Amino acid sequence: MTSVSLNLSRDDRPILIAALFILVILVAGTVYTFARFGSAPLLSPTYLLQQLQIGAFLGIVAAGMMIVILIAQIDLSVPWTLAAAAMMATSIGGPLAIPVGLGIGLLVGLVNGIGVAYLRVPSMIFTLGVNAVMRGLMVAHTGGYAPQTAATDLMRSLAADRTLGIPNALFVWAAVSVLVAILLQRTALGRYIYAIGNKEAAAYLAGVDTRRVTVICFVICGVAAGLAGVLLAGYSTKAYQGMGDAYLLPSIAAVVIGGTNILGGRGRYLGTLVGVVLIVLLNSVLSIMDMPEAGRQVIYGLVIIFMLLVYGRGERVTS
Amino acid sequence: MPDAVAAQGAFLELSGISKRYAGVRALEGVDFACERGKIHAVLGENGAGKSTLIKIIAGVVQPDSGRMRLAGHDVTFATPSAANEAGVVCIFQELSLMPDLSVADNISIASPPRRFGLIDNRAQRRRAEQLLAEIGCEDINPLMRVRDLPLSRRQIVEIAKALGKRPRLLILDEATSALTSADVEKVYAMLARLKSEGVAILYISHRMHEVEALADRASVFRNGRHIETFDKGGRSTAEIVQLMIGRDIATQYPVKPVRTSVRPMLALDNLSWEGRLDRISLRVGAGEIVGLGGLDGQGQKSLLLALFGVLRGITGRVTVEDRDIRPSSPAAAKSAGIALVPEDRKTEGLMLPMSIVDNLVVASLDAISTGSLVDRAKERAAVERAIARLQIKIGAPGDAVSTLSGGNQQKVVLAKWLMTEPRIILLNDPTRGIDVGTKQELYRLMRELADQGAAILFYSTDYDELIGCCDRVAIMYDGRIVRELRGSDLTETNIIASALNIDAASAASAAHA
Repeated sequence: MTSVSLNLSRDDRPILIAALFILVILVAGTVYTFARFGSAPLLSPTYLLQQLQIGAFLGIVAAGMMIVILIAQIDLSVPWTLAAAAMMATSIGGPLAIPVGLGIGLLVGLVNGIGVAYLRVPSMIFTLGVNAVMRGLMVAHTGGYAPQTAATDLMRSLAADRTLGIPNALFVWAAVSVLVAILLQRTALGRYIYAIGNKEAAAYLAGVDTRRVTVICFVICGVAAGLAGVLLAGYSTKAYQGMGDAYLLPSIAAVVIGGTNILGGRGRYLGTLVGVVLIVLLNSVLSIMDMPEAGRQVIYGLVIIFMLLVYGRGERVTS
Repeated sequence: MPDAVAAQGAFLELSGISKRYAGVRALEGVDFACERGKIHAVLGENGAGKSTLIKIIAGVVQPDSGRMRLAGHDVTFATPSAANEAGVVCIFQELSLMPDLSVADNISIASPPRRFGLIDNRAQRRRAEQLLAEIGCEDINPLMRVRDLPLSRRQIVEIAKALGKRPRLLILDEATSALTSADVEKVYAMLARLKSEGVAILYISHRMHEVEALADRASVFRNGRHIETFDKGGRSTAEIVQLMIGRDIATQYPVKPVRTSVRPMLALDNLSWEGRLDRISLRVGAGEIVGLGGLDGQGQKSLLLALFGVLRGITGRVTVEDRDIRPSSPAAAKSAGIALVPEDRKTEGLMLPMSIVDNLVVASLDAISTGSLVDRAKERAAVERAIARLQIKIGAPGDAVSTLSGGNQQKVVLAKWLMTEPRIILLNDPTRGIDVGTKQELYRLMRELADQGAAILFYSTDYDELIGCCDRVAIMYDGRIVRELRGSDLTETNIIASALNIDAASAASAAHA
């Protein structure tokens, strides 16, 4: 019985800590704004919804990233997969814009998956290479200039409009979250993902087609990046080069802060959600504080390192 | 007794050495001595305690009790390098070379020659050349990467590395097993020279003709005890085999059924793989338990892996119920109805940090899913059934499988496969490191599965187990099946004789005498 509670706390502890930290950020931010401006914008639902709307793009990228991290791999091609999906979607335009954007993500994921699973190139190297290739292709595609094409109405509506006062992007994020949570908890594929992350050899010898599962995971991550790209283009009304650059490290950080083991095999999707919220709020509080960019980067990095140190301690004790 | 040996000028003397691993006896009260200028062979079955003996002498493990004297002084070696400093150098069975470093780097890895604090590459190369020349293998280029050398040459490099430490006591643990016959000659000549220089040599080999050709003296070990030491020619091969077997308390095995006809299930024809498996033909019928015997590393494990689709480049034919199959991956083997309980349950059989449930169902998720969703009710029922059937002792099904004892972990591995309802079950030494009670449960279960129509191929390093459980035993030597034993021929004498690939008739006649 004790081991059950141990087992639970092993996965839930980081989520709890991260949730507590979110509270700390909210309280500290509110104290600051109250002292400085005499108001508490952080606690207003409008402001929070607006932050979550921005967080939706990161959340969708992180959902895909988590799946790849769970099988003990990494996808560093996310920035330019996202940008490429956005740029191709806007340049095709019309009703095909969104399918094309998602298709780009799927294609890049497929290439990543094949490279990692069948060609056996370490994912850190392979996806980094794919990222550079995508970047080159996009620069060639636009001739080095910012693309002139704008997002379609549907893209804008999905990313920027609201339904019943709630941003549509949040609905998309919620849908992705439900799908990923079901995938991880209720499907055979989800079980295989955890099994591979824990001990690939044992999963392989249990007759799991580990290479197929690996490809599927990279495809999911690619499609998620593509979807985020399409939405982000809709939100900013156009696609632009480098639009994905700000999503690579935060998405990995969100997954890891949420308690997913960076070496794979363990972690709950709820944790990733909490991780995304934490990062978004941290960013927004730092910007409210008028923190210069340099200071923001330092604090941001320190927070990630600190959280991991806190988790890491528990880890060593239990193992 | 030790005094008497000392009087003859023993170089290394062990008295009363005992060692247990997790409560299992590996060595018990061993007295042993060897002299300078002699080649001393150490003989025994798998698990007789030879490896532990060597590890203790070489400082790899510490004895629980007993005394070790070297050249008349009490010594204890806390680490292998302490042993090296005292002149005790061991060449282990597993190669200890770094594949991506050069031959010269590897030979001097422990204490490279230095100049101004930096490694002197030229001196290091000269040293390698010189040592290789001592073995008569000047043709090995010291600058070559070890990875690019064939196995036999790597073994030579390993020996050169040991020579570089200027041993006073040299231990060879199956160090010649990978050598080509040309290289074996060179190593023999080198050993003879070392012997004349007064080096004490301990020699472990499973090849009887090698022992006969080389050893001045031999000691037989059995079940962690030193049985007898005799000089060259003191015992015949048949007598040595008898000493190695001894007599032991029999475990209870389920009764073997008598069958008149067997429905064929698994058939192999001329299965070969990269020179490690050599034209293997074997039949396993439904309801039969067929053992794979022989010494460690004669291809038994490769055979099981080949059937399970893990190895690439297999030639030959595999049929299951008269239908050709091509096991190209474990997934393919699984869908052909084959199950494998792998060698190392901790890294290959289980995902240790995951729950018992997750480990049990991982091979049969297709069967308990509706559409793409796992059916929780079916999952729970299947898990309960499996736990009850194998009587796995657990706290809760959600506990990490690492919390279970070794025996119960192995039951989880087996239960995982039984949930796939396999027709052919491959077992790779499934009772290793498991307590006697669980062992007997596993034996009963194997027989029960066979009675229900499964074909079982069972590799074990424990001969007693093979005799007790199997309807037939195929003995492997050097990647071939050298003999198939059944019925009254299935005796320990015959297994050992076949395993050593020596004349079985002479060993058998000695046993009856």
